[in-house]
Formats: sequence, structure tokens, C-alpha cells
Amino acid sequence: MPSVSDRAAPAHVDGEAPGRSRFDLTIVGGKVVLAVVLGALVLAFPMMATDAFILSVGVVIASYAAFAVGWNFVGGFTGYISLGHAAYTGLGGYGTALLVLELDLNPWVALVAAAVLVALLAVPIGIASLRVRGASFVIVSIALVLILLLVAQSWASLTGGAQGLRVPRPFGPDVLRPEQHERFFYLNVALVAVALAVWWFIDRSRFGTGLKAIREDEDKAQALGVPTGAYKLAVFVISAFFTALAGGMYALWFGYLDPIFQFSILIGSYMVLMSLLGGIRSLFGPVLGAVVVGYSLEFFKVHYGDSQFHLVALGLLLALVVMFMPDGVIPAIGALVDRFRPQRSSIREMTAEELLAHNASIDDKSAGTATATDDERDLATVPPRSGKDLR
Amino acid sequence: MTATIPEQGGATAPTVSLATKGLTKSFGGVRAVDGADVTFHKGKINALIGPNGSGKTTFFNCVTGMIKPDSGRVTLDGRDITSKPPHRIAAAGIGRSFQLCRIFPRMTVLENMLVGVRSTSVLHRLGSSRNAGDIAKARELLRRVGIDHLEQSEARDISYGQQKLLELAGVLMVDPETIMLDEPAGGVNPALIGRIGTLVRELNAEGRTFVIVEHNMDMVMSLSDHVVVFDRGRPIAEGPPSLVQNDPRVLEAYLGV
Repeated sequence: MPSVSDRAAPAHVDGEAPGRSRFDLTIVGGKVVLAVVLGALVLAFPMMATDAFILSVGVVIASYAAFAVGWNFVGGFTGYISLGHAAYTGLGGYGTALLVLELDLNPWVALVAAAVLVALLAVPIGIASLRVRGASFVIVSIALVLILLLVAQSWASLTGGAQGLRVPRPFGPDVLRPEQHERFFYLNVALVAVALAVWWFIDRSRFGTGLKAIREDEDKAQALGVPTGAYKLAVFVISAFFTALAGGMYALWFGYLDPIFQFSILIGSYMVLMSLLGGIRSLFGPVLGAVVVGYSLEFFKVHYGDSQFHLVALGLLLALVVMFMPDGVIPAIGALVDRFRPQRSSIREMTAEELLAHNASIDDKSAGTATATDDERDLATVPPRSGKDLR
Repeated sequence: MTATIPEQGGATAPTVSLATKGLTKSFGGVRAVDGADVTFHKGKINALIGPNGSGKTTFFNCVTGMIKPDSGRVTLDGRDITSKPPHRIAAAGIGRSFQLCRIFPRMTVLENMLVGVRSTSVLHRLGSSRNAGDIAKARELLRRVGIDHLEQSEARDISYGQQKLLELAGVLMVDPETIMLDEPAGGVNPALIGRIGTLVRELNAEGRTFVIVEHNMDMVMSLSDHVVVFDRGRPIAEGPPSLVQNDPRVLEAYLGV
């Protein structure tokens, strides 16, 4: 019998439910430690911030993270790239502000109510826009933002038009600015945490498997029984809800809404870029992307002042990431870690008995049909049977 | 009119599984499917053959809801499934493969399998996709087609032949009574053709109906019970392989004599 059988059999002999190797356990342990440390750092950030400006940068980044995670419900799961998600942050912001101003609602009630309204509005928008795929969907999503921009600018009696809209601060006047930043930082972090929990829940569900199948091949998924239209719409509405919450939160923190900034293609592009940069297929990708993009933006703004050069610098950064880490930073790190994984031999090793049993089963199967059945196993996980195949 | 060659020695008429009546689909000025009346027999291996461009794949796509026919009816066991969306047709019990094998490239082999899990309630859909029941079923099917050792590989990393087997196994996850295969032997080596043929026979013995579009005549003739020959968007002959093989109309369509 071939010499492969002489070697000591590895832990998972025939690939059935391979147990976790020591390497995998190390990785899992490393991830847990990393998560605890990063979590602690995030929670301790307001204490470590030296001044109110740094703190406000933290709020912006946390806000961006909430935007990106909200966006990633659609982008990450279904692969439908929406450049117009600023529509939902903007509507969430204006909705919250107007509910407070016009209906005198409690700001937190207004925040949630606005997000629910935006989610309802996302139903017809989703039905209309999710009918088209690829570049057409991108264009439809941009069109939506531009329409909303025009509406918000023109409907001055409601939105204040180009004059902008002041949003009352949710905390009283006795809450000073740094303390307000701190509270909003934690509120945004909590929002991100909830959104990530929902993302994780969907990711592991049958619903999530269907969504990922849509991302890979929509027609094929539907042929396998996935109700693609309903799935896309459901996740689109969830995305709009969380994005609107993030937008409302931003409005309450910033205290002022201007249509140009609320309904801007730039904000929508940031969401896409943050998610792509971090990795749209991974849970924490958009958060990491938000930290990188948010920090770089503020850094470049400080360095290049009022010029638009910060956008050029950001563009260069993103070009580099796309060139060298096309799947995003987190998958690139994962691939790097995998290179240190003990090599899984491409040849599945077998004991002599297994080889005999295997050959016998092949002989059974191929009786009357064909002789060589091994060649479709191109990954060579089965050793060549013996000389007699090669006759 | 469709020329029907009587079944040899078949005393009882076969039960109709999938049938179309006057199915028509045009693309621009081209009538890809032109008033096709076709019946496929339940519990049999049916083959659909015809020269390139005779409308076989368009016919397939109309039946499975991928494209909407312009007119005509499609029935499955007597129930009308015309123009239903593909996921409803899948739920009605038709599974299909695609001409150029289509799998989900950036999902693992096991995840590919889990896409086809049937759900009827929202609660079920929100349940974990990686549960023991679904996974056991997926592994069983992967073992059956012989690629269970690859379950953790990304589907884009396995060979074309293995992808074909994965596609078939993925279709089986849906538990279809009727399985439509579009060129199962296309682009695969002879050994694997034999393997796929064996699988089809086994699955047919379990009571599943097959409708196979195929250009490999050896496979068609050795495998099928009933052959429908398409030309210019409609059937020109049907019957058992031995008779169809010698039908002058079929020879004419293929050879253009």
C-alpha cells in the first residue's frame, strides 16, 4: 500500500467536522482579548480625551461608525451599493428636529419616532429602487438624495431652507459642552453596539444566508427558493431605520441642520468608503473603516485647513487600500493570520484501512459507468489509488 | 402539429408531471420559444434535445420563472405555475441547475448548501442557519455527491467538476420532486459524466422526475426514458430514445438535410 498510510494520522483524519486546532483556539483567544481591550479603550476614550475638540472628534467618529454600520445592512449583506444613504441620515435628522419643534415631542421619543417613519418611507422607496441592480441601483440611490436635497432647500417654511434649522439641545442648558460630547459619544457607541448585535443576529440566521446568497448570485438564490424581493426589502428597511437613528442622533448633537450637508452625496460616499475600507463582509469592518476615515478626515482638515485638500488626501488613502487590500482591512488581516496557520496538507492523509475502504467504495460506485473517478477530486485530497488506474 | 411517436410497449399512459401549452417567448423579432406544447413524464428521466439555438434554455427559463413567457401555460402536476416568481416555483417542487454551473463563489461549500433550506415562517427564517439539522442534511448530500471533504473550502476554490456536483447537491437541499438540469455534462470529463449519470439514475429511482437538456448524445440515449426534440422553439418529435434517434425529422433538424 502507498506510503501515505505509514504516517501518523492527523487529528481530523477525513475532514469530518474538524475539531478546533490549537492554532484556531489561539486565534479565538486573541480575538477575545483584542475585543476586551478595544472595548475598554472605546469606553475609556472620553476620560482620556485631553480637550473638548478631541472629544468632539470622538463623537464624529462614533457617529460615522453608526452611519456605516447602518449602511452595511444593505451593502454588506446584499451587495447593493447605495451611494444615497445620506437620504436616511438626513431624513432621520430633519424628522427628529421637526418632531421636537413642531409637535413638541421629547427629543428621544422624536428620535425613535422619526426613525420608524423613515423605515416606513423606505418601504415604497425600496420596492421601487431594489428592482434594479448594479450601477442602476447606485444611480437611483443618488437620485433620491438629490431629490430630497431640492425638497429640503425649497420647502423653507418647514425645513428653514438654505437658512438651516436649529435643533434644540436634548440636555438642558446646564449641561456643558464637554459633558454633552461625552454623553453623545456613549449614546452613539450604544447605537453602534445595538446595530452590530442585530447585524450579527441576521448574519447567523437563515435570512442572512439568503441575503449573502443574493450578494453572490441573485438569480441562483431565487431558483433555490430564496424570496429575494422580500429579503432585500426587509434588510433595506432595517438599514434605513438604523441609518435614520444615527442621523437623528447626529442632529441632536450638532444642533443645526443644513440641507447641503444633510442630503449630500459626500456623506453617502463616506458610508460606502468606510464600509469598503474596513470590509463589508465582516461585522466590525464598517466600524474600523469609520475610525480610519473619520480620524483621517479630521487629521487632514486640521493640517490643510479650509482647503479641500483633505478630500484629496482621503482619496489617496482609499486608493492605496483598494489597491492592496481590495476586500478591506479586516479580511486582509485575516488572510495575513492565515499565513501563519500550520499548513493544512493538500493531500488528505489516510490510514491503510481507510484507503482500502475508499477504493472499495469507488469500485462499487463506478461499476458499469467509468473507471477513474478520482480525477474530479482535483484538490488531490484522495491519494492516487495505485498503478492500475493508469493502464 | 407535434409529431408524437407512440411509446413502445407502454400499455398505461404515463402520468404527466411538467407540461406546457402554447408556450411562447420572443426576443425582439426572434421567437425563441414558439407555441411549445410539451409534456414530461412523472417519475421518468426526460431529455430535451435540439440543435443550438433551438430554444431549450429559453424554454427552461420560462418554465422555472426566470423569464416571463409572452403567452402559454405551464403546469406542474396539473397546477398552473405560469409566470410565478422563481422562488415560488422552487417551493412548488422544481429544482434546477444552470447551463454554466452557478454556485455562490465566495461562500463555503457548506454555506452554499444551506441556501436551499426551505422556510415557511418568519420565525424559521430568523433561526440559526448553522443548526445541527440543516448541517447534517447538507453533509449527507455532500457525501452523496462525493465532495463532503471540501465543505470548508470556498466554492470558487474547488474545480469546475466539483462545482457541478455542488450545484446538484445544492438543488437537492430544496427536496425538489422535479429536477431540471441544463447541460449537466457540459464541460466535465467523461469520468464525472458517468458519476453524474449514476446520481441521476439513483435519484430517479427514489421517485424524482428529471428533465435534462443535454448535447451529449451518449448520455441522453443511455439515461433517458423519454426524449423531446426541439427545433426552432417547438418540439418536432418525442418518444423513447431508440425511436427518436432514427426519426427523419430529428436527423433533418440536426444535420440540416
